[in-house]
Amino acid sequence: MKTIKEINEKIKKGEAVVVTAEEMIKIVEEEGVKKAADYVDVVTTGTFGAMCSSGVFINFGHSDPPIKMLKIYLNNVEAYGGLAAVDAYIGAAQPNEDPDIDIDYGGAHVIEDLVRGKEVELYAEGYTTDCYPRKDVNVKITLDDVNQAIMVNPRNCYQTYPAATNSRDEKIYTYMGILLPEYNNVHYSGAGQLNPLQNDYNPETKSFNTIGIGTKIFLGGGIGYIIGEGTQHNPPFGTLMVKGDLKQMDARFIRAATMPRYGSTLYIGLGIPIPILNEKIAERCAIKDEDIEVPIYDYGTPRRDKPLIAKTNYKVLRSGKITLNVNIDGKDVEKTVKTGSVSSYKMAREVAETLKQWILDGKFLLTERVGKLGRAENKPMKSPITLVKDILSKPPITAPSNITIMEAAKILIKHNINHLPIVDEFGKLIGIITSWDIAKALAQNKKTIEEIMTRNVITAHEDEPADHVARKMSKYNISGIPVVDDYKRVVGVVTSEDISRLFGGKK
Amino acid sequence: MRKRIYYWTDSKHINKPVISDTILNTGVKINILKAKVEPQEAFLILELFGSKETIEKALNYLSKFGEVEEISKVIKRDLEKCVHCGCCITQCPINAIYMDEDYSVIFKEEECVGCKNCVKACPFKAIEIIE
Ligand code: SF4
Ligand code: SF4
Repeated sequence: MKTIKEINEKIKKGEAVVVTAEEMIKIVEEEGVKKAADYVDVVTTGTFGAMCSSGVFINFGHSDPPIKMLKIYLNNVEAYGGLAAVDAYIGAAQPNEDPDIDIDYGGAHVIEDLVRGKEVELYAEGYTTDCYPRKDVNVKITLDDVNQAIMVNPRNCYQTYPAATNSRDEKIYTYMGILLPEYNNVHYSGAGQLNPLQNDYNPETKSFNTIGIGTKIFLGGGIGYIIGEGTQHNPPFGTLMVKGDLKQMDARFIRAATMPRYGSTLYIGLGIPIPILNEKIAERCAIKDEDIEVPIYDYGTPRRDKPLIAKTNYKVLRSGKITLNVNIDGKDVEKTVKTGSVSSYKMAREVAETLKQWILDGKFLLTERVGKLGRAENKPMKSPITLVKDILSKPPITAPSNITIMEAAKILIKHNINHLPIVDEFGKLIGIITSWDIAKALAQNKKTIEEIMTRNVITAHEDEPADHVARKMSKYNISGIPVVDDYKRVVGVVTSEDISRLFGGKK
Repeated sequence: MRKRIYYWTDSKHINKPVISDTILNTGVKINILKAKVEPQEAFLILELFGSKETIEKALNYLSKFGEVEEISKVIKRDLEKCVHCGCCITQCPINAIYMDEDYSVIFKEEECVGCKNCVKACPFKAIEIIE
């Protein structure tokens, strides 16, 4: 048994034994937990990954004459200005105001440029008051010019993050990178055995051994502190809210990124020292990649609750490939696909190594937490959901393929519709006819439905959210989609009018 | 030996089995790495295997029906920008990118065919293809 005070004394004297969480695995394996707990004083951890929920409070100082800034832009990226006169918060995921630049240079890029000492253009508008007469201001600033630049990140350092794959027959662009069609890759994120929260976790109590409010940490190459649990904190998917001084940070550990067709985000290096006070703490610090379970979800399902495809662990994920049992077109198949990481284990190691060196050099002392992390809570939003089946015109108007083009035309006119799904004897969709197809048939002198119908029909499932169907229709530039049930039987058609009626009523 | 080429077929030859004919007539082995067929032309990335002579013959044969360009693209990664995340690894159609035991992301540059998939996937814009 040791105390943090005793460990700090050793650090000051240059006598502390400090190892990384990776080195600790070996020590415990070779020497046993008891000896390891006696011998090792501090285990350093690290993680380096995309942390969208990050941002910086900036105080720009007052201009003369002074301005009460309301709309604030840094290099054309909007910062939140609903604070006191010259305070603002710039968030990593904010896109550029210029739609041509958009996510290629967002809030994260402004933050990295500031850390790199680059000049950033500040443009702000305000409303005038007796004490703040100025209307706008436009200046170039650097990190040195501002009074404070305090990074405050509502959610960093996920303990584990679920891995992602994609069941759809097309590529999808997500915050987990580009997911190939038909489960052809698995992307994962997280430092696993090096992750700070993972190494400090007590699975029985679902709480953390030493980490808490006030714990001093490595944040972006500078010193930071844990403010409390992060948003959506829910161990074993724990998260942290942290703060640090941007002026101390190093651009090596603060990197702006753009997830293709998703958004801008900030990669942050974050490391936490764990004091080895007893055997229980030492034992947990020997956790290995293979001990950490990682669920793989299907991101091809654009719903909050994504289907679980498999459960695996970080060791398998880091091996470069994984075998999945999946269902493609109704057939169960075994598929071995490539895995790719979205976070950087190499940089996580560098974080843990750097923090270890700081402690060995006596530059970084440990702190006692002042309180435990707050309660876990991660429940869904009470948002209403509209499924396609809720907005369908029923009963469905369909036709068999043996009718004449004239008959098809009559059906369209009679029901005042533009889309006519063609079905087989069981009501299963085999094609679709639109009024445009009928016009074309006349022009080209075609005789049968079979000749003019579109066979590769884009469909919607009756349980799909209406928002998703709206996205599909604009993506493929179509004005109507047949809706099918589990057996591919047509249950109705959704048209762009149905969709605009639905969304027209809302804002 | 092995050679990689870009191949554009003219529209008038699009309906002919040019690739199979090349294989049958010259005995070359062909691996199709990418194929994009449009109404006006077809674009393919091919990998040819065989002796020097066979490959020469195959190239001559292919030239009769379209345009051949040997792939000489080089991939360049800015190591200052690369954080070794791995977002690019699974995007490579020919498995030229992998993570080594040290968790560094490695490009087998000599195998790259310049498809740019990795360029589009990299969140840090660290990769460039130099023509
Ligand atoms: S995606 Fe970019 S940053 Fe990540 S490993 Fe590949 S080249 Fe490096
Ligand atoms: S450009 Fe990138 S993805 Fe394409 S072959 Fe070369 S390394 Fe692979």
